[in-house]
Amino acid sequence: MLTRFVLTLVMALAPAAAPAQESPALTIYTYDAFAADWGPGPALKAGFEETCACTLRFVAADSSIGALRRVQLEGNSTKADIVLGLDTSIVGEALATGLFANHSVDTGALIVPKNWSSPSFVPFDYGYFAMVYNTELMPEPPTSFEKLAANPDIKIVIQDPRSSTPGMGLMLWIKAAYGNDAEEAWPEIAPRVLTLTRSWSEAYALFLAGEADMVLSYTTSPAYHLIVENDPRFAAAPFREGHYTQIEVAGILASSPNQQLANDFLAYLISPEAQGIIPATNWMYPVADIELPEGFDTLFVPQKTLLLDDMTVTENAAGWIGEMLNSFE
Amino acid sequence: MNNAPPLFRAFDFPRRAIGLTIAASITALMLGIFLAVSRVDIPVSSNSLQPDITHLVRMSLIQAALTTFLSLSVGIALAWALNRLRFFGRPLVVSLFATAIVAPAIVVALGMIAVWGRAGWINQLLAIFSLGWNGSIFGLHGILFAHTILNGAFAAHILLARLQTIPAQKLKTGQSLALSPLRRFLVLDWPVISGALPSLGAIIFLLAFTSFPIVLILGGGPANQTLEVAIYSYVRLSFDLRAALSLALVQLVFCLIIVLPALLATPSLASSGTTRQFHWPDTKGATIAQWAILTLALAGFGLPLLAVLVNGIGPGLFPVLTQNRFWQATITSLSIGAISAFVTLVLALGLTTSRNSFSSPLMRAALALPAFAYLVIPALVLSLGFFLSVRALQIAPSNAAPLVLVLANALLALPFAISVLAPALDAINKRYAKTARSLGLSGFARWRMLEWPLMGREVGIVLAFGFCFSLGDLGVIALFGTSEFSTLPWLMFRALGAYRTNDAAAIASVLLLLTLIVFWALPPLMEKLSHAKS
Repeated sequence: MLTRFVLTLVMALAPAAAPAQESPALTIYTYDAFAADWGPGPALKAGFEETCACTLRFVAADSSIGALRRVQLEGNSTKADIVLGLDTSIVGEALATGLFANHSVDTGALIVPKNWSSPSFVPFDYGYFAMVYNTELMPEPPTSFEKLAANPDIKIVIQDPRSSTPGMGLMLWIKAAYGNDAEEAWPEIAPRVLTLTRSWSEAYALFLAGEADMVLSYTTSPAYHLIVENDPRFAAAPFREGHYTQIEVAGILASSPNQQLANDFLAYLISPEAQGIIPATNWMYPVADIELPEGFDTLFVPQKTLLLDDMTVTENAAGWIGEMLNSFE
Repeated sequence: MNNAPPLFRAFDFPRRAIGLTIAASITALMLGIFLAVSRVDIPVSSNSLQPDITHLVRMSLIQAALTTFLSLSVGIALAWALNRLRFFGRPLVVSLFATAIVAPAIVVALGMIAVWGRAGWINQLLAIFSLGWNGSIFGLHGILFAHTILNGAFAAHILLARLQTIPAQKLKTGQSLALSPLRRFLVLDWPVISGALPSLGAIIFLLAFTSFPIVLILGGGPANQTLEVAIYSYVRLSFDLRAALSLALVQLVFCLIIVLPALLATPSLASSGTTRQFHWPDTKGATIAQWAILTLALAGFGLPLLAVLVNGIGPGLFPVLTQNRFWQATITSLSIGAISAFVTLVLALGLTTSRNSFSSPLMRAALALPAFAYLVIPALVLSLGFFLSVRALQIAPSNAAPLVLVLANALLALPFAISVLAPALDAINKRYAKTARSLGLSGFARWRMLEWPLMGREVGIVLAFGFCFSLGDLGVIALFGTSEFSTLPWLMFRALGAYRTNDAAAIASVLLLLTLIVFWALPPLMEKLSHAKS
């Protein structure tokens, strides 16, 4: 009876929210911060709609993994044309779903770490994971994971690799830096970890509240505080082992009836115009050769960068995560 | 009621039918959700995680049992203190404790850290006297501390409402007999309190067993994690829905077996009356103890909430208030909360009045069990199930989002509502069953003329629970989001995810204020309304 009641109510609601659409619509699944008012979403929408004679719709999931899962659930009947915001640690898995089509965008001229490219995914920004700290409270940050592990006065807050992409990034960072020794590295780092949070947001909030000395974030994080809050106290600590790279990508779904329009959007996404929006809204580096906003020049840029192969990550991630979590029990 | 003639039982046929229909519908809905998730056919990535189930179950059990014991003890002590003490701002303090269970867990956890953490208020205060505390609130003790404060405050709120139903003439008799504080507690308080303890304990146990954000933030690592976290990682990481579902079933069965005895327990004889207060303070010694308890509880729970308010209501609040999206989200949240409150009340009344007309403990448990089951279903599985069902009905998820939010949160608030209404109804039944029988009152007339006038406050509390549950929801709506539809907690989470900690703090304080106002205003308002009609 209840189900029927629900059904009737839903039916009553459904038509009201489906206006007649004359121009084609392009639907993009992404993570919430990207589509939010202060994210790149609104400006990109305005910019693309100027030329495309179409309507651009962002649908925000709670995370990029959430967006992928939703597409997997919806399968071929999905309304999404593009999934935007997947990163290099999950690209292999996304590819394995067979849901993504090849794109026809020329990415040859892009500046992407390790010259990363893929026939199915277009990279649109990137960053490096780093331990971010407050320079006033910690004048001499550790310069490597080894130094960090050796200093019992330091507490760091990190994210759970099972639920958070930065958390996954840290796991891959240690793996890329220490290879087979990662299993020995984790038990030494674990005592420095205050807690593992579900998402980046919670970890960063704990750090800002002064509960931890360092937080796993990006080398670009200090730019937000500097540019938006005019607060120069934050910095990313350069680590001797090098810094792991995160590349964010977008892919077109094979089920999309708007292949041409979707390709047009991806081409727009990597154009200098759209790329100019990214740094000060998504706080990542652009892939096009454009001038960075004032303040980015103060950031630490790692000389040694790390990135593991997509397929290797997909095949081994679960085992590696188990290895890491064992050190915390 | 065992000696009631068959004719009287027949009187309550409509009530029984309505309650059984609701119980059957929500059971069917639950089965539908499980079925929908189990039928998803998505190839699983080859390397699924293998969580150590026995470890997780053991940890969850230990933690939940300790939490339940501690929370009930704290709740009884606090309700006792609040019942005796009179001071300026008491209604506000009472509603402050009520917000414990409904405020988004992450808000409360961060507030708790702001007070008890390394850089928290307490430690800063201690530092002035060079008494810096180097301990940490992260770990099993952190989880227990947070859980006890949250659930203890919730228990206190429920038990206080029970204590206020002790009729004035009983108190007057007790006073003239010069009962000692202890005798008074045992003779007058315990009988009304103990009726609410089983279902209250059951709720707290289930909440602690399935606790997620607090365990993750304050747990300090995977060592203290719960089964719920394993389910989450199955869905998130390997997208192995079948495995997640079987774990969810393990959790469901396990919890229900533990909770069943509590639901079977018949509440002890309890009296009911209006809450027109007769105030009888205890002796000096007991009063001092009561103030001490209240002070500790306020420090433990009041301060973290105060910290949320203080951190949010500052220069950061104004820019947020000028944002269009903030007002849109507020309107969405308020309307969904209002509808949700109403649905919760209707479902809870349907179930509890029906439960009340049965004398067999088994039937009574059968009516409450489905509602309790929703506490144990992981939000992620619930969300998935609703999402898949909505799609199976050929409805765009974004269109269904408001409805799902209302329904899912009404279902989540239902066990709380039952634990508020059931003891009150039982008490009324004990007291007025004969009168009702002689007047031939049944069904709606019985509600309008007998129960509603006596239960205004409880109805207000239930509405407040229903309202606040959907107001604070972050879990169920996860899969349904669009950029057009947004609620306050969502806005908060987005702000938090985009470095905008100040915006997030401001929204958190608004959320908390709304919750406070609702719990402060609704119970007395409904009580007035119910009296006006009687």
